[in-house]
Amino acid sequence: MADDRATSPKRRREDDDDDDDDDDDDDVGSPPRKRSASHTPPNGSPGFRLAERPRRYSRDHGEDDRGYYRDRRSPRSRSPSHTPSRSQSRSGSRTSSQPRSRSPQVTPPPPKPTQLHYRQSLVLRGHKKGVTSVKFSPDGRWIASSSADCTIKIWDARTGALEHTLEGHLAGVSTISWSPDSKVLASGSDDKSIRLWDIQTGMAHPTPLIGHHNYVYAIAFSPKGNMLVSGSYDEAVFLWDVRAARVMRSLPAHSDPVGGVDFVRDGTLITSCSHDGLIRVWDTSTGQCLRTLIHEDNAPVTSVIFSPNGKYVLAWTLDSSIRLWNYIEGKGKCVKTYQGHTNKKYSLAGAFGTYGAEPPYEHAFVASGSEEGGIVLWDVSTKNVLQRLEGGHTEAVLSVDTHPTEKLIASGSLDRTVRVWRGTTPPPEAVLETVLETVADIGTPANGYDPETLPPNPFTES
Amino acid sequence: MNLSLVDPFVLAQDCPEVITGRLRSGHSTSIRFSHRGDLLASGRHDGIVVVFDIETNGVARKLRGHTRQIQSLSWSTNDRFLLSAGQDWKCVLWDLKDGSRVRTVRFESAIFIAELHPKNHMIFAAALFEDQPVLVDMSAEVPVKHMLPTAPRRSQTEREKATEKQAAQDAKQTTTVTIFTPSADHILAGTNKGWLNIIDTRTHEVMYSYRVTNSLIVLIRMTHSGRDVVLNSSDRIIRTFLLPDLSDPNLDFDMLELKVQHKFQDLVQRLSWNHVTFSSAGDYVAATTYMNHHVYIWERGQGSLVKILEGTKEELSVLEWHPFRPFVAAIGVDSGRVWLWSILQPQRWSALAPDFVEVEENVEYIEKEDEFDIQPLEELHKRRLDQEDEEVDVLTIDPVKTNAQHEPGEFRMPVLLDIEASDSEDEIVAVGAGQFRRRSPGAGKEYMNDDEVGVSGDEVRRANGSTASGTKRRRA
Repeated sequence: MADDRATSPKRRREDDDDDDDDDDDDDVGSPPRKRSASHTPPNGSPGFRLAERPRRYSRDHGEDDRGYYRDRRSPRSRSPSHTPSRSQSRSGSRTSSQPRSRSPQVTPPPPKPTQLHYRQSLVLRGHKKGVTSVKFSPDGRWIASSSADCTIKIWDARTGALEHTLEGHLAGVSTISWSPDSKVLASGSDDKSIRLWDIQTGMAHPTPLIGHHNYVYAIAFSPKGNMLVSGSYDEAVFLWDVRAARVMRSLPAHSDPVGGVDFVRDGTLITSCSHDGLIRVWDTSTGQCLRTLIHEDNAPVTSVIFSPNGKYVLAWTLDSSIRLWNYIEGKGKCVKTYQGHTNKKYSLAGAFGTYGAEPPYEHAFVASGSEEGGIVLWDVSTKNVLQRLEGGHTEAVLSVDTHPTEKLIASGSLDRTVRVWRGTTPPPEAVLETVLETVADIGTPANGYDPETLPPNPFTES
Repeated sequence: MNLSLVDPFVLAQDCPEVITGRLRSGHSTSIRFSHRGDLLASGRHDGIVVVFDIETNGVARKLRGHTRQIQSLSWSTNDRFLLSAGQDWKCVLWDLKDGSRVRTVRFESAIFIAELHPKNHMIFAAALFEDQPVLVDMSAEVPVKHMLPTAPRRSQTEREKATEKQAAQDAKQTTTVTIFTPSADHILAGTNKGWLNIIDTRTHEVMYSYRVTNSLIVLIRMTHSGRDVVLNSSDRIIRTFLLPDLSDPNLDFDMLELKVQHKFQDLVQRLSWNHVTFSSAGDYVAATTYMNHHVYIWERGQGSLVKILEGTKEELSVLEWHPFRPFVAAIGVDSGRVWLWSILQPQRWSALAPDFVEVEENVEYIEKEDEFDIQPLEELHKRRLDQEDEEVDVLTIDPVKTNAQHEPGEFRMPVLLDIEASDSEDEIVAVGAGQFRRRSPGAGKEYMNDDEVGVSGDEVRRANGSTASGTKRRRA
């Protein structure tokens, strides 16, 4: 395993300072990273130690941009259907025959809110290392969180109770994706494998999806649940037959690590993005590339998702920007740039959310974490910041997801916590008291990070 | 959602051209596409029904219950139920939600074809060997079989003139094929003497009869609209008809006169046709040929032969056209494989980078006035951001008009993860890296009472699709 590094020397920056003593608490000296080195779990062979994620050689001024991962598909960016219950307030139930807010109306549309009021409602502790990805299940019942500590935890989205800890990966888990029926969770890990987990039992499916030659950074289920797309550090995008656990198609995608992949809501398109600065859109059935989007600055693209209606793609780049692309018109065009967060180093993930009144007058926001520990919500059209959720996470927020039906946001951070934020009605002063109904799986102080949640780790000399 | 990005020239093609894949699981004898077009049911020689996922070219479900070769398959309209008729003289209605058998109906004779009622999956019509066709109502635990008539309807004068011999002949006829019209009000039945009968589904009476030919009618197919019929008979001629709207209450069956629209045949080689089908919209008629490796496709406007699909080295039997794509599937008689023809979509190079353009001939590049001007970065950024002023709607979903779309409440077959592990009845077992051996006969077939084993090709299982390198076959 150690040759991992040897085989790709060019990917190693020479100031590969931190190696084995790194870890969770990114102390002063070494720069923080999204995920620390993967640890051999106790049952691994003693010598086995996945080397630190090799870094991409720096593209411009040595920006250290390792650690980009995961698929960040918001449940609502995924297809409609199969859960009828979702349709009530869901965008998925809407068709353009219904009036949008800007169309002429007999009754004036309700004013568009200029602010949102999300408040922290739960803190989920238990991960022993940074949380790399959080995902609400499509049925809204569960929150899954993956972590660099090689585990995935399933939490009850309502109460925050820990339901399962999924153990089996031999290295940190970078990405997770729910199957559309919320019964299976797929996870991609630095051990190069993708595993499928049965949520009812908490057991891993016996055959993992093996085929990638390097860390798996991003996965996404197709809306029917029969296919899975994965993007890896080995620069490949694979399309998997989930039933047979075999690679159906390999997309000759990129010339740099693939940071994000996503399926469009009807499953006919796949998007992938890479640190070479390209976002590609693929035809699922033929494997042909249908569109390539490049921003002039050519900043590394770390993650990408389709919009809930599938007409746009939203891409995170390491120049602290999130761009919304219209990939259909012409040759593809960047229509919005959201800025105001910090994103220079990690692969952040976010999601689309909705606010405002019921469907015809519903508006969309973009939610993303920031490396300073906050979460930023932008209005999609005006690009105005609707709210900054601060005061919760103390380190970079790597993953943000929105609940498929309720006004809930989940976030996972390098500070090892998952936090759930609930949307409240405007006068927020009244709600101040109920701020933290902290549910911790072990008794820990309500705020801040508790070193006691960390058992001694035999593999670090901390 | 991909349609807006796909080359319009590719989309305009509506006739398949090249072999794009093959499916294999055992020796297939009968296939049928689901109505949404994402699944293909395949009945095997050993009585197992396999449901393929067309998107992954993999097995999505295996249904065990028949002990002999599957004769015909029929999907319910919502694609949740599948009716299979086997040569073990029984029909099974499967629930694809959990793969269970909803009903099993036994018959006293072999079954030619069994077709589900389009609106009620608990009713089906079946044509039986040397027996009267039946309409079976399975809603009760004990299925109720209603006999359907076979004797053609004669007009008053004909009946009076009828000799005893003729009456006896009428009575001796058997129905070889029955299908429902899409409205389910009528059943079209073909007999071994070349009569086409239109039977009322409620009264079980022959409303109209028409003698198409003197020889046996092998197969009848209709388009989704129910206005076009294609009929294959053993006289080596494929005929198409236009039907009036049968559910029109003003329609007088006594005045009805069917006229053959087209006759498709090969006069030179005197080919006879194994199986025939309409294309999705009914514009084409496709047929597989007896003792020949080709699929003939005729266009219905002019009635001309437009294409011959080839590429297989075996005769093809059952042929099915995808419900809305230019995509056909046909069974190879020898290997039992399912061959797939579709359109090859070339990679457009212009899609690989935003500044690539596909041009017919060389184009002189004209530099823009400010192309190489150096501008302050901040200004550039600011200008760019200021231009992003359009209203963006990321939520509203355009209504899509394809039948491929799954509506929210619609049935979707659950994805089984261990389908490969359950593959125990396959003939070839992997014993090591690249090593395979034949499974000992009868192993894993305990569910069968018969000892019949469908031995078929010695090819490694499911070599279909373009399997990428790096994946080893894994067996649980």
